[in-house]
Amino acid sequence: MSSDFYTASILPFAGIIIKMCRAYTDTQEDFEDYYQEVCLQIWRTKDNFKEESKWSTWIYRLSLNVCMTLLKKRKKSKVSFTSDNLPDEVVEDSKAFADEPLNYLFNAIRQLSEVDRAVILLYLEEKTYQEIADIIGTNPNNIGVRITRIKERLKKELDGKVN
Amino acid sequence: MEKSIETIWEQGFLKDDVLVAPKLNDLYNKKSQHIVDKFKRMYEINIIAIVVFALLILPFSYFTGIPYMGIPMFFLFIAVVLVNRKLKKKLDKIDNTKNSYQYLSSFDQWIKELVSLNTKLSRYLYPYVFLSMFLGFWFGSFGENIPGQDLVEFLQNKYPDMFMLFGLPLLGIIAVILALGLLALFGGRIGQWDLNLVYGRIIKKLDIMMRDMEELRGESGIDITNR
Repeated sequence: MSSDFYTASILPFAGIIIKMCRAYTDTQEDFEDYYQEVCLQIWRTKDNFKEESKWSTWIYRLSLNVCMTLLKKRKKSKVSFTSDNLPDEVVEDSKAFADEPLNYLFNAIRQLSEVDRAVILLYLEEKTYQEIADIIGTNPNNIGVRITRIKERLKKELDGKVN
Repeated sequence: MEKSIETIWEQGFLKDDVLVAPKLNDLYNKKSQHIVDKFKRMYEINIIAIVVFALLILPFSYFTGIPYMGIPMFFLFIAVVLVNRKLKKKLDKIDNTKNSYQYLSSFDQWIKELVSLNTKLSRYLYPYVFLSMFLGFWFGSFGENIPGQDLVEFLQNKYPDMFMLFGLPLLGIIAVILALGLLALFGGRIGQWDLNLVYGRIIKKLDIMMRDMEELRGESGIDITNR
């Protein structure tokens, strides 16, 4: 991946990728793996981008696909660590951000189903219902109801933790 | 008053240093380690499975009345295990402290050696297996009638004009030689097919990864293969 491509086409949207990856991982190590995999997939599939949607939408969709695929893979085959391949650093992601309430929010988001995580992230990123539906590939009609339900659940999770 | 999730989100991401992108310089480290480890696990399991087969084939062939097949098969399995143990030692010696591209290149070289050796050996292995089976069924059990001789007698009675060579039907000899020739000719391909059946997915993944890494290295900029 050339540094030009990374600097021009990925880095300005790194925020999107970071938020997505944080929502689907529990440790710093996993987060970095997911981030790198998303970047690699963006580079691999860059020629498939047809400019029918925004580049940012493309990145959202790709990040989401990669995160969900990796999560499923991880669930399927829990990587067993032997003494030879112990992770160098396993940092609990509960302290991923300096802002405490944000950490609580991400921890709560991680309790949601895979699709609900995507829906609420996109909602918080101020995407329209249509955009959310486009990115996750669903009908826009029930997005609103779904968001209300997710918000209620998050509110319950955060109850008493965030003032 | 409690903050809404929208406010938490907005305020949390206000600071510039919140979203720090991780470095990309070890993109392939885990991937390369993972693919080699996976292969090693499969390879180890296969070697153990062959040892188990080798140990089982002797009593199995004895009790099923084909000991003459079991003995050469036992030696064949043992030989296969010894060859693979030797290869495994080489595989274990691959230096994983090199960068991931060099690491995978060494692994790729090792795979090529495995394929090449397997192809060569298969040219002898499959005819050997066929011959073992043939002899096993021909000679039958220890101390009993020889089924092959019974068959020859039966054929001689039925086709008295049958052409014989060294006391065996010529057509039968030709058929066996033809089968051995064909197995020797196509043994290499059968061996490759067999190897592909077991390790094909990993080898394909390795090819894709190597291609990606070569392309990435070809482009100027970030070296993503550092360890």
